[in-house]
Amino acid sequence: MSVSLRRLTRSAVLTALALALSVAEGLAPLTILFPLPGLRLGLANLVTVYALCRLSGREALLILLARCLLGSLLGGNLMALAFSLTGGLLALGVMALLLRLPGLSLFGVSIAGAAAHNTGQILAAMAVLGTPAPLVYLPPLLVCSLVTGAVTGGASILLVHRVPFPGRP
Amino acid sequence: MKRFLPFLCCLFLLAGCAAPASSAEPEQAQFFSMDTVMSIRVYSGGGLDAIQAARQEIEGLDKLLSRTDPDSQISALNSHAGDGLQVSLDAEVANLLSFAKSVSQLLPGCFDVTIAPVMDAWGFTTQERHIPSADTLSAAMALVDSNGLIVDEQASSARLERAGMEVDLGAVAKGFAAGQADAVLRQQGVTSALLDLGGNVTVIGAKPDGTAWQVAVKDPQNTSEALCVLSLEDQTASTSGGYERYFEENGQIYHHIIDPKTGYPADSGLLSVTVISADHMLADALSTALFVAGPDAALDFWRSREDIELVLCTQDNRVIVTEGLEAGYRPAGEDRGYTYEIARR
Amino acid sequence: MRSPAADRRRPTLWDGAVALAVVACAVFLVLFLRPAQSSAVTAVITLNGETVAQYRLDQLSQPVTLEVTEADYPLTIRAEQGRICIEHSDCPSQDCVRTGWISRPGQQIICLPNRLVISLSGTDAESFDAVTG
Repeated sequence: MSVSLRRLTRSAVLTALALALSVAEGLAPLTILFPLPGLRLGLANLVTVYALCRLSGREALLILLARCLLGSLLGGNLMALAFSLTGGLLALGVMALLLRLPGLSLFGVSIAGAAAHNTGQILAAMAVLGTPAPLVYLPPLLVCSLVTGAVTGGASILLVHRVPFPGRP
Repeated sequence: MKRFLPFLCCLFLLAGCAAPASSAEPEQAQFFSMDTVMSIRVYSGGGLDAIQAARQEIEGLDKLLSRTDPDSQISALNSHAGDGLQVSLDAEVANLLSFAKSVSQLLPGCFDVTIAPVMDAWGFTTQERHIPSADTLSAAMALVDSNGLIVDEQASSARLERAGMEVDLGAVAKGFAAGQADAVLRQQGVTSALLDLGGNVTVIGAKPDGTAWQVAVKDPQNTSEALCVLSLEDQTASTSGGYERYFEENGQIYHHIIDPKTGYPADSGLLSVTVISADHMLADALSTALFVAGPDAALDFWRSREDIELVLCTQDNRVIVTEGLEAGYRPAGEDRGYTYEIARR
Repeated sequence: MRSPAADRRRPTLWDGAVALAVVACAVFLVLFLRPAQSSAVTAVITLNGETVAQYRLDQLSQPVTLEVTEADYPLTIRAEQGRICIEHSDCPSQDCVRTGWISRPGQQIICLPNRLVISLSGTDAESFDAVTG
């Protein structure tokens, strides 16, 4: 297999995985347990972390964009796309930066990513609604991101170590 | 950059095919009619023209049905009480009268469309409110008898058998108006709207975002708070309670829902009754009748039919919600000492 | 991308620092948002459908008394910071006076005999669309 074909294939597989994860997550939303708008586990973030660690920043970005676009085609609307894109991009940026720092583990990276994702969503909501009202949801969401970030962080450590080099024959 | 180009294109394409953003601000109008404040809010389809049409419909009905307007058909009917003349009416008025009579038969002793002389004796209609003397009250009570209202739907006419009898459609007119306004709005293409006809809330369709309307039931003991919140679509929620129109005399509170059996304000153990039904007129009429009937009779009545749901607030601070509402309701008054229970069939 | 974080399997002290930073942000936001909680509440007084007065209740620094003499039954409205009521009315029913103070967006005082409505609107929308009763 040529290099670029391999890259395309693994990006496609990871995109599909991310999509499947976010759909699966939608089936059992956390908001049932805890009614906070925008609250979710963020399993699709696993794929972003993985792509950042084992592929490249560029591929992680492409996978994220493809996931958000396809996700909104599958079930959402343009509003949902705006939320997931801003959240996802902010999370990606923050995590890409933090991964370069020494001293952190994927727990810290994921927690920061989850917090960044929530911040991005709220910023998007503020922009769409044109009022600062959604900001009141941010503090509880940030606190929740400690838990969701730690869970996805733990999962991503397993993933990154069990599947070290993707796409190798 | 080349790689990003397709994605950017996708973004713009997607933006192009997205549904137009729903306007968050509804078209609305507030006006006085039928002796109360009404508001109509239209969220999608129709617009101001539709609201105007609905408002005209309601104001037209008020002209037909008002007891205080000397030119109304109800005034004509009342003024000919006892003289044997069969007063000809619009078909819709005759239908409404016979519906009101049928409610008297559904819940005997709890509802009477000819209660008006007693309401007058208490001063609830126009004058200062006061406790009537025993003589005045018994004279007025002698005139209350819905069997003395003869309606001929075929000929679309009616008469009152004894002089002094009077019909007051106050307990059904708002529900009837809601039904007519609902039809007018839908004709005009309205798919999502909210009508508040003096506390009778009628919802058309769902909210623009597709979720059900959230309609709060007022706490009868603290009217600035909600008792519970209901999820409704294409239904009317009508509430009757003694807390809105009342007066105090000698330290006692007298409210405006008169028990046709006693001639006194109903004291059935209920503080308020909310009836939810897709039949707007039925919801309005039953809320008054079931308030008089009391909690046990109201629940028995609910079990006997499929087309209504109830929220009852009792004097001992229980809120009884019938099971058809269970999925979409949320309690809101636990901190004020209410306990909530679901009534099963 | 080579990353030291990707090779670790256990959380480090620095992860704790990240978590603390997130909590600090949350706490800061709560403190920052607090003064904004007394949000805009506007009272609009209409007589027979026409607006006779309008107050920003949250910005009233001292009480205001409004005499509505052009009403059929003259009445007195009192507005203070954050709330408004009908203090006195010559109307026969007195239902409007008994309603007492209102302070939250969505609430109304209605004086039927006068066809007067005081309604509150504001940024803090209620969690429901209409009220029955």
